[in-house]
Amino acid sequence: MENKNGSIGTVAKKSISSLSSFITTFIIIAVDVLLGYITYQLASMGYIPLTVVFIIIILLISAAFLIPKLSHLRWMAVGLSAWLLFSIFPILFTIYNAFTNYGDGHLISQTQAIEQITNQTYLPETGKAYEWVAYRSNDNDYLLWVKDNEGNTFIARPVESEGDERIFDVVQGENGIGEIDDDGAPVTIEGYTRLNRILAATDQNLTKIKFGDPEKTIQVRSPSEAAELLPLYEYNPEDNTFTNQQTGKIYYDREGTWTARDGTQLIPGYNTVIGIDNFVEFATSPGLRGPLVTIVTWNFIFASMSLLLTFSLGLLISVIYGDPNFKGKKLLRSFLIIPYTIPSLITILIWRGMLNPNLGIVNRMLESVFGISPDWFNVPTLARIAILTVNTWLGYPYWMLVTSGALQSIPSDIYEAAEVDGATGFQRFWRITLPLLLVSVGPLMIASFIFNFNNFNLIYVFINGGPPIPTATTTAGYTDIIISYVYNLAFASGRGVQYGYASAISVVLFILIAAMSLIQFRFTNMWEEVGENV
Amino acid sequence: MKKRFILLAVILIASFVLGACAPEATPEPTEPPAEETEPPAEETEPPAEETEPTEEVVEPSASIRIWADEQRAPVLSELATDFLAEYGVELVVENISGIRDQFSVAAPAGEGPDIIILAHDQAAALVASGLVAPIDLGPKADEFVEEALNAFTYEGELYGMPYATENLGFFYNTDYVEEPPTTWDEVYSISEQLIADGTVQYGIVLAGTSYDAYPWMTSQGGYIFGTDENGDYDPTDVGVGSEGMIQFGEMALQWVEDGILSDNTDNTTAKSMFLNGDVAFFMNGPWELNNLREAGTPFAVAAFPDGGQPFMGVQGFMINAFSENILLAQAFLTEYVATQETMLKFYEVDPRVPAYVPALEAMDDPDLQAIAEAGANAQPMPAIPEMGKVWGDWGNALTFILNGEKTPEEAYTFAQEAIVAAISSDTTGMINLPGSWQSTVSDCEWDPACADTAMELGDDGLYYATFTIPAGDYEIKVAHDGGWDTNYGVDGVAGGDNITFTVEEEGEVQFIYDPETHLLEIIQD
Amino acid sequence: MSDQVKEKKTRTITQQRRLGLILRWILAVVLIIFSIFPVIWIISASIDPVNNLATQKLIPDNAGIQNFRELINNPIFPFFTWLWNSIKISVITTVLTLTLTTMAAFAFSRFRFKGRQELLKTILLVQSFPNLLAIVALFSISKQIGDVFAALGLNTHAGLILVYLGGAMGMNIWLMKGYMDTIPRDIDESAHVDGANDWQVFSKLILPLLRPILVVIGILSFIGTYGEFIIARTLLTKRELQTVMVGLQIYTSGQYTQNWGVFSAGALIAALPIMIIYLVLQDQIVGGLTAGAVKG
Repeated sequence: MENKNGSIGTVAKKSISSLSSFITTFIIIAVDVLLGYITYQLASMGYIPLTVVFIIIILLISAAFLIPKLSHLRWMAVGLSAWLLFSIFPILFTIYNAFTNYGDGHLISQTQAIEQITNQTYLPETGKAYEWVAYRSNDNDYLLWVKDNEGNTFIARPVESEGDERIFDVVQGENGIGEIDDDGAPVTIEGYTRLNRILAATDQNLTKIKFGDPEKTIQVRSPSEAAELLPLYEYNPEDNTFTNQQTGKIYYDREGTWTARDGTQLIPGYNTVIGIDNFVEFATSPGLRGPLVTIVTWNFIFASMSLLLTFSLGLLISVIYGDPNFKGKKLLRSFLIIPYTIPSLITILIWRGMLNPNLGIVNRMLESVFGISPDWFNVPTLARIAILTVNTWLGYPYWMLVTSGALQSIPSDIYEAAEVDGATGFQRFWRITLPLLLVSVGPLMIASFIFNFNNFNLIYVFINGGPPIPTATTTAGYTDIIISYVYNLAFASGRGVQYGYASAISVVLFILIAAMSLIQFRFTNMWEEVGENV
Repeated sequence: MKKRFILLAVILIASFVLGACAPEATPEPTEPPAEETEPPAEETEPPAEETEPTEEVVEPSASIRIWADEQRAPVLSELATDFLAEYGVELVVENISGIRDQFSVAAPAGEGPDIIILAHDQAAALVASGLVAPIDLGPKADEFVEEALNAFTYEGELYGMPYATENLGFFYNTDYVEEPPTTWDEVYSISEQLIADGTVQYGIVLAGTSYDAYPWMTSQGGYIFGTDENGDYDPTDVGVGSEGMIQFGEMALQWVEDGILSDNTDNTTAKSMFLNGDVAFFMNGPWELNNLREAGTPFAVAAFPDGGQPFMGVQGFMINAFSENILLAQAFLTEYVATQETMLKFYEVDPRVPAYVPALEAMDDPDLQAIAEAGANAQPMPAIPEMGKVWGDWGNALTFILNGEKTPEEAYTFAQEAIVAAISSDTTGMINLPGSWQSTVSDCEWDPACADTAMELGDDGLYYATFTIPAGDYEIKVAHDGGWDTNYGVDGVAGGDNITFTVEEEGEVQFIYDPETHLLEIIQD
Repeated sequence: MSDQVKEKKTRTITQQRRLGLILRWILAVVLIIFSIFPVIWIISASIDPVNNLATQKLIPDNAGIQNFRELINNPIFPFFTWLWNSIKISVITTVLTLTLTTMAAFAFSRFRFKGRQELLKTILLVQSFPNLLAIVALFSISKQIGDVFAALGLNTHAGLILVYLGGAMGMNIWLMKGYMDTIPRDIDESAHVDGANDWQVFSKLILPLLRPILVVIGILSFIGTYGEFIIARTLLTKRELQTVMVGLQIYTSGQYTQNWGVFSAGALIAALPIMIIYLVLQDQIVGGLTAGAVKG
């Protein structure tokens, strides 16, 4: 099989003149240089994972165009690059996060967290709060005039300023101080511009500068207030601890949260690798002891029934209305495609309204015609029927489109031959159309199954997993599928949103689904061989 | 052949570059439709239009970005012109749905807006993650409703500037009911009469099984979390299975059997039943006012019977901790948003009770005033993460009761157990010292999940805890993971005998536990 | 076969056809009711001034076009700008997706190379990853690329299109390859014998035969891109850059303030481009090929 098509090599060799190969090389080098430049920039900004992906992309593109043996990759180099970048990389990211504590409380990096905690300040008992006015020189030196609540005023220089005294009184004529306003603040100081409220507010440096004596620094903390603030925590990079300057309490780093011996924690924590904790948590969570069997069973029923119903209905339509002799088929198909054109966000909700047991139009009609009023939301079986109906409605136009396209690939002379053999329409369909069709759409059916297997949106928006299962020890409903159930576990967790935990669940789920799919591949491998050279 | 590939590659790259230029080019194609909309919108258009000319005059020196929902965005956009004129700062209002989630992604990457609008219970996680900065409202702080400020205060720091509070009120149809009932007994008898008269189908309908029924639950003594001495919610005291809750459940079941209460708890259905005049009473929030008025249902709002307490949510502004314009953002909030005019505008587009006192005083909507009164005794919505584990089971309990699948006692006790288990599963990794001694330092006794007596891991791999214990004889064990499944007694034996110790004189006792040998060392001074 | 028998056969076939036709029409009516019934309710919601999905009547009281007016006139919601953005992004994405998938599918269908099966399977498997963190990852990739090359970063349409192209290699490739596999290999082999290279085979012979499937994938890709809002709302926060689905979603997201009427009105208008595209292209899907053309 591998040798069957040797044409690519020979043809390629034939068509390459030395000149065009030179041009190729040149252009590839140019593309590589461009990508290389981007990669270099990414690396210099410290975006290491992305840099690695870009290096792989450069190698891929270069190899595709420069190594004749890999010339088939030319046909897909661009697509594969985008795929690597936006499909594979995010998956690796999720897998990585499955081993971290990423989630509420641990959303930021260690550097960011250290900076935030270091910036936390406190007002010591002897500390004072002041009104303030700031002055700025052309070379961005600052002065801060302050007034305490007893009316005492003075001017402070930044702690870093050298030479001059850091604090001086407001005396007209000294230190370049000009006229003094009613509040006691200088209207002008030589060499400085007084910042009005607006300029001060838009100055991004101001809040970061410490003014006055090093032991008693004053910081601007709001448009109306400056205060003698002291840093509350001191960071010790050697053992990665914080010390509370007020109480002396030491906070040790515990998996991304600085925790003291008595259990008090500093906020924020940072995201960091915590090993397999998330997997262990999932394996031991009460969620797994919950109604998992009910949910898994329903998940398979839901996915296969959804596929079966949407596929059959879509195929039925394209077969019986694909007949060129059928008049009005164009109009008909235009009507039938409508469910696919309207955002499912709204159609799911519309269905929810229509199936409302008390007020919905469906029940009002059923009531008047048959005298029944099924409770679609509270009876488990009815809820499941309802959700399958809605999903069929949402999904059949997709299969209508796909199968009517795929049916075109079945040559009509096969039918003619079959007709001569006396096959009935049904036999023709069963023996010829369906097997041939499965060749081209088989993989799509797997994909559709997988999509429905994880069809979180429908379950969540339509009924939110309900009706609830009375015997479940964890919150779960009869229409919950694995993904909606575990998302509830991960996101309604007692510690807020746990992305790391949810990622771990994703990874476990993926392994499950992948194993299933691989088995399916095994059984369906024949498709491709049948499909060749019809 | 190769050339073709290269041609394709070039085309692809070129199309990206072209696409890349497209955003800059968008104003061109996008403007015509915008102009088309002008003629019919004579009054509404100006704000957006005015900003453009001024922009050319005042060169913005900086800009602040705000993420707001669709109700607040238009109001904030209107402030842009003035703000630009006075501060020379451009105000960019972006309309975002799912602000909390989006912000958690964008802010750590340094791409977040300067200001966001959120409800206080959603904001707690952002505070814990260090994504929002404390706010100093200065003298303006006095102009806000105290409860609203408290809701945004975490660990003694204020993290948000509130603008509105929201809570349920007791709605009644004024065609059927003249004087609002003050007890549930009255609700029952009025309903009974109205049903007998054939005026209504049911007396009352619930719009949900948890939040929406809470005022009724509290009127019977039910609660979700108890409070500690500071008035903060205590996640170890879950009240879902409390007597009051069960009593409510029995009452609701009885009322359904008597045909007074509808067995439906679907929100949409409940709303429309009240809207259509099929029920006389229902409990809902200010967000429903506009709908009810549009529908023309005659209604009024009262406080809850028997002193029922609703939950109160507070909406407010928060500042991004990674913003480069923290001071500016504060100035914008305190000077532009915290004004009677702006706060009243929020209230006009979307009726919520203002949290800003001058606006609250100017509020002239009688229904909203009634809702505010109904919320006078409201409990703040718990902003602790444990609340996330409560909703599902708590709400399902009532469903089971009304479906007849469980008795009220079963339902709420079951829910209580599930919630407590879910919350305490967060104690995985906890090493605790349950015993008789616990009562001397906490509310617990023989409780392996007691937060107050948990040990802390030291650098040496040993666990430590130190307490001041009064004189007496005590028993103690070591328990792992907040439960009794793994516990150690005398000589580090799994499930072994209780360890005893005696304190001669009140003083500090240090406990040291070695997780390798499971031995507990008790050191007294 | 005698003429008589032939005639009889024709007659029964005609009768059968007629019966079939009637049955088909009955089924058609049922299907049409099933498919458009909810849509009628959306139309009804869009002209209903009262915001309530459950109490809605088929023909609402005080029906009017207030919702449409509100949709169009609200200065905070530049609906037509969004619509234009959506169309632009979807068209560009679709064209590029078709280019990438057709070429890749050609290689997968016509060449035999090492790792071919594995790569195909990987592409399918990757699709099934329940990637709830994708958004976070895509956001940071976009941001980082944007830091280097602003035109492809956050808040650019090009950046969003680029992200969408990352999904181009998914199911479409299987669909396209499956279709190509049914085009007999003899065609290209005889062309190769005549001295055509792969590119010529692809562009001159295969490509024209792909029209129906190109249209199908094109429509699927267009609808998929057009309806996507989760990535779009994260990458595009500037109002004038957002897409129509992101905009519409805002109407349903308010905690208690869902604005059904306006949302329905918007959804109807937003559905128009898809409808139009489908109406224009549907002949291409079904009216396409015959076996004769394939055999050439």
